[in-house]
Amino acid sequence: MCSKCLSGKKYNEVKMKERIGVYICHCGGNISDYVDVEQLSEMMKDEDGVVIAKNVMFACADSNQKEMINDIRDKNLDSIVVASCSPKLHLHTFRGVAQRAGLNPFNYVQVNIREQCSWPHSDHPLDATKKAVGLIRAGIKRVARSKALENIVIDAKKAVVIVGAGVSGMRAAIDLAKMGNDVFLVEKDFFVGGRVAQSGELFMTNQKGKQLVEQLYNEIKSLNKITLFTGATLEKISGSLGNFNVSIKIKPRFINEKADEKLLNQAISECSVEVPDVFNYGLTRRKAIYKNYPEALPDKYVVDAEALKNEKEFLKKFSSCIDIYQPDETLTLNAGSVLVTTGVDTYQPEENEFGYKKLNGVITLPELKRLMELNPETLIYNNKKVRSVAFIYCVGNRQSKGKNKYCSRFCCTSTIHTSLQLKEKYKDVRAFHFYRDIRTYGKQEILFEKSSKQGDVYLRFDEKEPPVVEMNGNKLVVKVKDYITTKKELELETDLVVLVTGMVSRSDSSSLAEILKIPIGNDKFFNEIHPKLKPVETVIKGVFIGGSCQGPKNVSESVQSSLAASAKINALIKSGRISLDPIVATVDKDICVWCGKCAEVCEYDALKEIKAEGKNIASVNMASCTGCGICAPVCPVDAIQIAQYTNDEIESMIDGFMQKIELKEKSGEEEVQAEGAVTMKEYPQIWKQILQSINEKPKTIPEISKELEINNDLVTYHLMTMNKYSIVESAGLDKKETYHLYKQKN
Amino acid sequence: MNMAKINPDFAEEIKKYGAQDFNACYNCGNCTAVCSMTDADNSFPRKIIRYTSLGLEGELQTSVEPWLCYYCGDCSTSCPRQADPGNLMMSVRRYLVAKYDWTGLSKKLYTSKVWELGAIIFVALIVLLLFILYSGEMTTELTTEGGVKLNTFAPWQNVEILDWSMAGLLSFFLLSNIVNMFFKIVLKRKDVKVPLKLYFTELFNILFHFFTQWNFSKCNAEKKSFWEKIKSGEYNYWLIHLFLMTAYVTMFIMIVGFLGWFQTDNVYKWYHPQRLLGYYATAGIITGIIYFAILRIKKIIEKSKKTHFSDWTFLILLFLTAFSGILLHFFRIYGMPYATYYTYVIHMMILIPMLIIEVPFSKWSHLAYRPFAIYFSRLIIEAKKIKK
Repeated sequence: MCSKCLSGKKYNEVKMKERIGVYICHCGGNISDYVDVEQLSEMMKDEDGVVIAKNVMFACADSNQKEMINDIRDKNLDSIVVASCSPKLHLHTFRGVAQRAGLNPFNYVQVNIREQCSWPHSDHPLDATKKAVGLIRAGIKRVARSKALENIVIDAKKAVVIVGAGVSGMRAAIDLAKMGNDVFLVEKDFFVGGRVAQSGELFMTNQKGKQLVEQLYNEIKSLNKITLFTGATLEKISGSLGNFNVSIKIKPRFINEKADEKLLNQAISECSVEVPDVFNYGLTRRKAIYKNYPEALPDKYVVDAEALKNEKEFLKKFSSCIDIYQPDETLTLNAGSVLVTTGVDTYQPEENEFGYKKLNGVITLPELKRLMELNPETLIYNNKKVRSVAFIYCVGNRQSKGKNKYCSRFCCTSTIHTSLQLKEKYKDVRAFHFYRDIRTYGKQEILFEKSSKQGDVYLRFDEKEPPVVEMNGNKLVVKVKDYITTKKELELETDLVVLVTGMVSRSDSSSLAEILKIPIGNDKFFNEIHPKLKPVETVIKGVFIGGSCQGPKNVSESVQSSLAASAKINALIKSGRISLDPIVATVDKDICVWCGKCAEVCEYDALKEIKAEGKNIASVNMASCTGCGICAPVCPVDAIQIAQYTNDEIESMIDGFMQKIELKEKSGEEEVQAEGAVTMKEYPQIWKQILQSINEKPKTIPEISKELEINNDLVTYHLMTMNKYSIVESAGLDKKETYHLYKQKN
Repeated sequence: MNMAKINPDFAEEIKKYGAQDFNACYNCGNCTAVCSMTDADNSFPRKIIRYTSLGLEGELQTSVEPWLCYYCGDCSTSCPRQADPGNLMMSVRRYLVAKYDWTGLSKKLYTSKVWELGAIIFVALIVLLLFILYSGEMTTELTTEGGVKLNTFAPWQNVEILDWSMAGLLSFFLLSNIVNMFFKIVLKRKDVKVPLKLYFTELFNILFHFFTQWNFSKCNAEKKSFWEKIKSGEYNYWLIHLFLMTAYVTMFIMIVGFLGWFQTDNVYKWYHPQRLLGYYATAGIITGIIYFAILRIKKIIEKSKKTHFSDWTFLILLFLTAFSGILLHFFRIYGMPYATYYTYVIHMMILIPMLIIEVPFSKWSHLAYRPFAIYFSRLIIEAKKIKK
């Protein structure tokens, strides 16, 4: 299936580059210690199209870059090959050099003779050199056929859709709006604030979650570039970076906006239907006409239509303000980028996990926080005053044999902070911490010290032997094997057991991932491209993730993450135009017959059928295409090629490899220094001497050392290396049975 | 089932015995690592702090480790949380003294200044009453040597009865408390049974450690020779304590065993043993008290930084006894009758309460508990070796 047969096009239809510059790097010894770069640069001078070939100490150094630019100008080079390290390091450096010298940056090819040559083959320097010859020749052939490419520029809409109006989403919305972008803030619940609204006091500032939410909401309201949709979910997305079409579905509040406020209040007070309050994790009940909490924002009531649908009389009486037949609304938003800040759910313990839902007095940490916010004076649970609380850490997290192998980061600090709050609010409450490890990292360590000093007792258990919660009569009892009291079995009577549950990915995250086509990990959190270098970007260009939906974070970290994403988004779309790498698929419209196979395999929906010049052919959406190359081999007529990886270029590289390689042997023995560092160059010399010596008869290390007048340690080192590579082997012990004799292995 | 119950209220109780900061402990183990007295058989002080924090009174009462600590204070200096383990160990010792005492008086004396003062005053008043009722004539006639006729006022035969009753009471309470201690530390242990032979072979430990306090030499285990340490002053505390102890023992033996000889109306030459021994005893007690008092006032070394009121009671009573004793001696030999008689009564009003209260029920009990603790600990270690 080569291009010659099918396309009828000849190999060398592309205008070949004839003034090629080759630069082979020593990399300070990393390459030149194993690969004979001097000989290589001599050899490459004879290759077709090569005008100059040099070997340099550090190709990436400023001085050498300047020299390259001068060479390009003086010698009128039309393309360059740099044989040094991996393109991951200096691809952009040398593209920059090409550009500054007036060359198209894609008329430069990087050849990796370090990570792919000198480093892995340091034990066979001669073979490494041979391989380098092949690699560089391939590079030269490739660059001769390289095309000058220009970045692809597309229009970008200066608008962003943010999915999730928790603290991360709201904070990012404010910054994006202030930077001049339109923001569509889409929130699934009818009220903003997410988890932060449910947390009472937050560490480290003790500010209430509600206050934080109010502050952010007020700022959002003051910026008219932000449009907030509550009760809204993402249904579909199409398009690509710069031009996304996002359709959202908005659930109604079932309240007539124009209704008389007094009538609505009457309806609320007369409403008799109550359901468990999800916002308070079922600790309380709420009416069917509700707000999450009295100060919830937006300050509008919602009707729970499901709960009220059978209350025919009630609905009739208040029909002027309540209408449970209000329809859903759908909207399509046009945006340049999407930011996902959907946050997390909390782990729900299984039935009877540490007695949860089975024993009276076992709750989770989020439930405790609700309880504390609802009971400002005295802590009461199940009509009993709470005097002692036993926290059990790492519930549903760090399960080495379970689903959630990770640690949720924030919970140690949150628990200890809660313990301090307990003491402050309810004076005589005692706290006991059954922990596995205490991770109050960074500046949060202060809380751990405060907690110890106030008399909190810490007991350590191992994952294999977790605490057991049971009832002793009518008293709740926790039994544990305490690893810091010599693994003694201890028993504690307590009023309340609080399970410290961590974060889990939201149950709807997989469906959202499917809609947006962003990858999701084994732990069900959204995946970034690179945790250190690209922590907020996804493989879909234009779709960013921020906050805890990427992984467990505390509020501060979530906001940092979403702000990072907002800065990146702004940088991308602020000019209204986006410049993309031209390494994309190209369709030859003369050859393509539109069979649809390429569109089938494309993960990014970048290939579509269009009508052009009278026939149906495939068209590439250059914004969505990532240049992965999967479409090229499935095309039965070879109509698709990837820029910079065309058939021409790849085939020429193979030809370059296949050429015969003749290397000159190094002439003459060099004087070997017995002291000091041994460079790789000297290895062959010392080895030759040792082998010569032991070929006369097997000798021990002291004997070899004496004979060759080389330092004992050095001989030992080399002999052991040769032993490791099976060049020599032991021939038994000497007469005194103290040293091994060595001989060459056959 | 080896289940021990956590008692969170205990932390409040132990604070009455002195320790305040032990809650800050986060179990790093630095204290045990730095302690020169701990070893593989007996690990402390972290274990003791842990038992205290968790309120495991059963474990505390059956442990011998608190007595193996000689409060060098290295643990407190090295504690990264300033939890003061040294002071906690001291407080646990006070607590244990209170627990070995089956009468319950000791606990009151340690936790209430009112009880401490009240008990002393009570016994002092009894002594005063005895003197009012049974003392002899306050004659102003002097002896031929010019000394006061003390034995007319307070015949040594009668005083001896008082001394012996006091000694008897003291011994009874102290010994019964030691038996209590024995039960808790040795007999209650389920993991080891001590064979009869060991009780005899290890017996020498009691007297050896009682007289030498040899473990002081292991405190602050720096790599210096014995003589270097003496020269650098590291053994000062130990040597002065030895001085004090031998002084007090000398005096105790004289007044209980040889009162007739010691409480004489004769005025001997200064080099006569009756006087020399008396001077030695006085010098030892006064030197020791002043040294320890200065350490406590100036908070010079770690172990002197935290003082419980029972510490001051001990120092003050002992000082006043010795001081009144020496005054008494000089009044007698220089022929000042009334001064002698009144000082004598005051001397007894301090001495008797001090002995009856401090020895079995308070700080002074360490004279017995410490040597016996070492004895018990050796019994257990040797029994474990045999078991292997």
